[in-house]
Amino acid sequence: MRRSRAVKYAFLVPAVLWILVVSLFPLASAIYYSLVQYALGQGVTAFVAFQNYLDNFHNPTFWHAAWITAVYVAVTVAVEMAFGVALAWSLTKRVWGRQFFRVLFTAPLFTMGVALGYLGVTLFDADSGPVNFFLGFIGLHPPWIASAFWGLAAAIILDIWRWTPFVFLVALAALESVPGEFYEAAALDTRGEWPVFVGIALPTIAPVLTIAFLLRLMEAFKVFGLPFALTSGGPGTSTQVYSAMVYLTTLQFFDFGHGSAMGIFFLAVVLLIVLRLFRVMRAQIE
Amino acid sequence: MSIYEPYRGIKRVLFYVWLILVAVWVLFPFFWAVENSLKTTEQTFTRGAFLPWIQYQPTLGSWQTVISDPAAIRALVNSVVISIATTLIVLVLGTPAAYALARHEFRPMTGRDIAVWFLTQRVLPPAVVLVPYFVLMVHLRLIDTQIGLILVYVAVTLPFGVVIMRDVFRDIPVELEEAAFIDGANDLRVFGRVSLPLAVNGLVATAIIVFAFNWNEAILASTLTSRVAQTLPFFILSSRSTRGVDFNTAAVNSLIAIVPPVVLSLVIQRFLARGLTFGAVKG
Amino acid sequence: MAERVSRREFLKITGVGAALGAGGALSALGPGQAASKLLQSSPVAPYESPITPERVSFLKGKPYKGITINVMVLKATVGDGAKYHVPHWEEETGGKINIAEVPIETLHQQIFTDLTTGLGRYDAYMTGAWFYGDFFVSKEPYIVPLDDFIKDPKHPYWVPSDQIASMRALYTWEGKQYGALFDGDAQILYFREDVLTKPANRAKFKAKHGYDLPVPPRTMDEMHDVADFFTGWDWNGDGQPDWGIALHAKVNEQGFFHFLTLAAPYVISPDNKSFWFDPDSMKPYINSEGHVKALEDYARFVRNGPRAMLQWTLGQGWNLFLAGHSVMEPTWGDLPTLAQDPKASKVKGRVGAAPIPGTKRAFNPKTGQWKSYSLNQVANVNGGSWHLVLSRFSKQKEATYDFMAFMANQKNAFFNATHGWTGVQPSMPYEFLPPAGTGSIKAYEEQGWNAHDVKSFTDAYYKALTAPLQETYLRIPGAAEYWHELDVNVSAVLAGQMKPKAALDDVARKWEGITNRYGRDKQRALYRKSIGLE
Repeated sequence: MRRSRAVKYAFLVPAVLWILVVSLFPLASAIYYSLVQYALGQGVTAFVAFQNYLDNFHNPTFWHAAWITAVYVAVTVAVEMAFGVALAWSLTKRVWGRQFFRVLFTAPLFTMGVALGYLGVTLFDADSGPVNFFLGFIGLHPPWIASAFWGLAAAIILDIWRWTPFVFLVALAALESVPGEFYEAAALDTRGEWPVFVGIALPTIAPVLTIAFLLRLMEAFKVFGLPFALTSGGPGTSTQVYSAMVYLTTLQFFDFGHGSAMGIFFLAVVLLIVLRLFRVMRAQIE
Repeated sequence: MSIYEPYRGIKRVLFYVWLILVAVWVLFPFFWAVENSLKTTEQTFTRGAFLPWIQYQPTLGSWQTVISDPAAIRALVNSVVISIATTLIVLVLGTPAAYALARHEFRPMTGRDIAVWFLTQRVLPPAVVLVPYFVLMVHLRLIDTQIGLILVYVAVTLPFGVVIMRDVFRDIPVELEEAAFIDGANDLRVFGRVSLPLAVNGLVATAIIVFAFNWNEAILASTLTSRVAQTLPFFILSSRSTRGVDFNTAAVNSLIAIVPPVVLSLVIQRFLARGLTFGAVKG
Repeated sequence: MAERVSRREFLKITGVGAALGAGGALSALGPGQAASKLLQSSPVAPYESPITPERVSFLKGKPYKGITINVMVLKATVGDGAKYHVPHWEEETGGKINIAEVPIETLHQQIFTDLTTGLGRYDAYMTGAWFYGDFFVSKEPYIVPLDDFIKDPKHPYWVPSDQIASMRALYTWEGKQYGALFDGDAQILYFREDVLTKPANRAKFKAKHGYDLPVPPRTMDEMHDVADFFTGWDWNGDGQPDWGIALHAKVNEQGFFHFLTLAAPYVISPDNKSFWFDPDSMKPYINSEGHVKALEDYARFVRNGPRAMLQWTLGQGWNLFLAGHSVMEPTWGDLPTLAQDPKASKVKGRVGAAPIPGTKRAFNPKTGQWKSYSLNQVANVNGGSWHLVLSRFSKQKEATYDFMAFMANQKNAFFNATHGWTGVQPSMPYEFLPPAGTGSIKAYEEQGWNAHDVKSFTDAYYKALTAPLQETYLRIPGAAEYWHELDVNVSAVLAGQMKPKAALDDVARKWEGITNRYGRDKQRALYRKSIGLE
């Protein structure tokens, strides 16, 4: 093999260095703060070891936020993966208006979560919103953000709207990278579309899809702007997602101790989930 | 039967119905944002106000408010500069790194281990690291500057680029590269002339996603900038004031914010993709 | 007539009357300044009035030429109000101001990351009244008193002591002046005078409740009856059922201020001045019987509006009233201001205003007893009362103060109070109508106000600000966090997820945690200072 050692390091090191230089200090700080008591203006007032973690574990709001987030992640990521791949598969065909649909289906990706949340308030307004206007024809009149269940549902619907394009884009790029001969071969064997999709296309793009899935998973766990702008976590704290809780604790109340402990705990749990899934899925694929 | 062939007969009709339904699903929120941008608060919460002129009297008041604010223009310029610069840096640093991880081993670690490390860089909720980032930027004297924000944005979106691109490169058959090596090309040439052109679809998708992330990022921006380097999301956050959320200017702000990236994605998809593919060594 | 007597009494109580009686604001002596020397106008200070002669000679040399100051303000409303005056000040003084506009979401965070890291990029910050405690947590406070600057006649003329006492309390700390006059928030009750006085409605109300429909309601029970009476039927004739009350109750917004406003008379009384904590032990009062009863009553009020109210933000609550679908709303002075805009409002000229109704019985958390009163009415200064404070890290303190005082000068302050878009509410005598103040209906009319609405608004507002019983404002460190815990549990009660007692017990538990984190002794000392006990 003629590949050069110098080149491989020259390729990799700048990216690694950039991340290390910028991210290491903040991460170390977060770990440190999670072990101390901190108050605004007074700074660090005591070393408390794992007390912040224990306090959080005894806080029902904490577990509720974790639960809400888990539901949110499970539903949004599952639907987005399925929907995004289906859309991408549709657009691999030489259909009329392909470029148009392609740009259109990408567009929601560029909306900002908070802006979409505010828009959602008007879309899902129980009295004047268009959603209930149309649901009215079939006799439905959900209270949407005035209730915990429907509020979360509204956030999930908007999240699916916004993030499906991510999966769509990645899946489409992967499908298009598959050399045409793969399909030509399949074309000889006219078993219909479904077997070609499941038997050839899906396994070929599976590695990229895995990555898209894991990235989506991590982003979904961190979700904040969209649901928070929509419901503010209410009524009460019933739709408060984990990152909203971290945000309030850390940046609104300057309780770095408990906030950082929430963050580090989150990091540990999500890493565990992601790494485990990564192993399992890769083992399946390779 | 090739899957690239469109359907025929009734299947074809159903297929287009499906595409159009999805288009409506995608377009409706944009349509509603346009509606909101033309309404007063009262009209926004009036039942059955759907059709302008017929059911409500549209106004350009919110548009005027936003556009007459010089800070909006500055925020737009900052957003464009910061997002494009970040995306370019991520591609320049991330693509070679991804390639190295796809094609080389880094004993005792595997390329996969390092890829996983990159992946994990995205997990920590930003709220936790905001204040440390702020302190860091204070020391680097980069608070409220475009460079400061770019520095951080590259760090938080680079993992994306690397992880996605690594798998794109892994999908490219190694045989193509080996053929080029046999022809006497060196690493750089193989990367630039063989692998990169083949990875162009992934590259474009990655660029769009990285761009979108930076374009919409609000939490870091709202801590690390305050005046000079304010970006559009920061601007959209200020649709909420002491008088609550102004849903009408919020709509205007988000519509303004959606135009540049959509135009850009059009440009990228149409020209960049074609241009790069053109120079590709056909495999 | 009875009203006039009581107004006189208020004047006597607050001491404002004495100054006014002698001929209005101009006669009030500024520190070390003789009233006779004040000028009404000067070509070098076109944006100020009145002006001291020292100011005139000071400005001749464009004293701040080459000096740049940085000021952080809220984006929109009150921030726009401040931004408006910047070019004027620059023109007069030769100085330069960089304004950083920050959304309300991040203002507190921006201010305190700047201060706690010692970066101190800003000379002045626009602050909400509940941030105050946070400025005094460090060994040396983050902001500096203005008293020395105020004494210097070369700065724009304003008289801090003219500001109505209840509001001025939010601009001071331990007797020192830290804020320069800007906004003055209080919640009072706004109602549809035309609807409450309509004979058909009055007859129907009397038949149902056995007494005359009160205009305005004076007790919480009456207010409940009125809210209840006007809920669920079409009293404005547009074919849709209407409502008794407009509120907004979305969490992390400003809805909990409604609760604080309406809860005050259940707890504050001539026998108890503390709403939040036992000032001796710092034990929370928030789960007292009085607070629980107040919350139960608040939940009843919320049922007299649309269910969607539970997740409304402020503007949506106002909109219900402005669109003519609600008969009452306890809220800020923005409401009558917005009512003047025919594009946004169907109620111009029909807005009545009154102090918040009282109770017949109040609970004293210290003694654990309920006590009866003929009428226990409690006013409040709930809200942001946004204004500028001067950073300890500022290297241009004098020039910065000059700008702060510039906006506090009568000409500019009056401009702010009479222009709705600034979001600024009045708190100076010259902003109210005679006999209470020296303002004029005409000045308001020139800004598009309806004469009736001005009079009812400013009269009621003045009455509220000068009421003898005031709900003390929470100004200790962590105020935002204490309020947040209350806010989310109140919201949970309204949504039927928690019972009032359990919800407030939970709040009390969380408040103890916050108090412990900041240090109980430190918090107790600051709390006692903030309610004027020490």
